[in-house]
Amino acid sequence: MADAQAKLQSLSEEFTKLQQDLQETVQSRQKLEAQKQENLGVQKEFAKLKDSETIYKLIGPVLLKQERPDAESTVNGRLEFIEKEISRLESHIKEMQGKMEKKKGEIIQVQSSAQAAGPQAVKA
Amino acid sequence: MMSRRMLTKEEEDAMGDEIEVRREDQDKINKFSRLHQHELSIEDELKAKNKEKEELDDITSELELADEDDTVPYKIGDAFFHLQLPQAQEMLGSSTERLEEEISELEDKMGNIREEMTKLKVELYARFGKTINLET
Repeated sequence: MADAQAKLQSLSEEFTKLQQDLQETVQSRQKLEAQKQENLGVQKEFAKLKDSETIYKLIGPVLLKQERPDAESTVNGRLEFIEKEISRLESHIKEMQGKMEKKKGEIIQVQSSAQAAGPQAVKA
Repeated sequence: MMSRRMLTKEEEDAMGDEIEVRREDQDKINKFSRLHQHELSIEDELKAKNKEKEELDDITSELELADEDDTVPYKIGDAFFHLQLPQAQEMLGSSTERLEEEISELEDKMGNIREEMTKLKVELYARFGKTINLET
C-alpha cells in the first residue's frame, strides 16, 4: 500500500516538473514570436527606404549611423536565428506534451492497480 | 528546480518529538523569506544595470572611431539633441560612472543580504535540522 503511495508521489512530482518545463518553454516561444514580428517590421521598413535615406541604430542613448547593407544583414541574421530557435522550441514542446501524456498514463495505471489491490488488502 | 526533500518515515521517527516553533523562530523564518525576496529583486536590478552598462561601453568605443565633425544624436528624455562629439562623450562618461556606482552599491547590498541569510540558515538548521528546508 505504502509503495503505491510513494510511487504516486514521485510520479506526480515528475509530472509537475514536466508541466513547469512546458510552461517555461511556451513562454519563451511567445517571446520569440514577438521578437520575430518586430524584426519583420524593421525589414519591411528597410525595403521602403530610398538609397539617400540614412539608417540609425540606438545604442544606449546614442543614435549611431549604420551602413544599409550592415543593418539589413544584422536584421536578416537575427530573423534567421529566431526562426531556428522557434522550431527548436516547438519540437521541445511536442516532446514535453508526449512525455506528459505518458506520465498521466503511468499515474492512472498505479492508481487503478492500487484500487484493485485495496479491497483485498482490507479483507486480510 | 524544486528540490522537495521530504522526510522519510524513518527520518521522521528519528527526529523524536516535534520541535516547538517559538516566536523568535517564526520571526527568523519570516526574515529569511523577506531577505530572499530582496535578493531576487536585486538580482534582477543588477542584470538590467549590467546590460545598460554594456551598451554604454559599446557606444563609447564606437564613438572613439567617429568623425570629429559629425554631430551625435543624443537621447535626453524623449528627445534627441545633436551634440558635438566631445560633449556626447562627456555625457556618456558621467552616465557610465553613475551606473558603475549604482552597480557597486547593489552588489554591496547583495553581499549583506547573503551574509544575513547564511547566518539565519545556520541558526534555523541548528534548531530544526531536517525538518526545515531553506534551500532557495
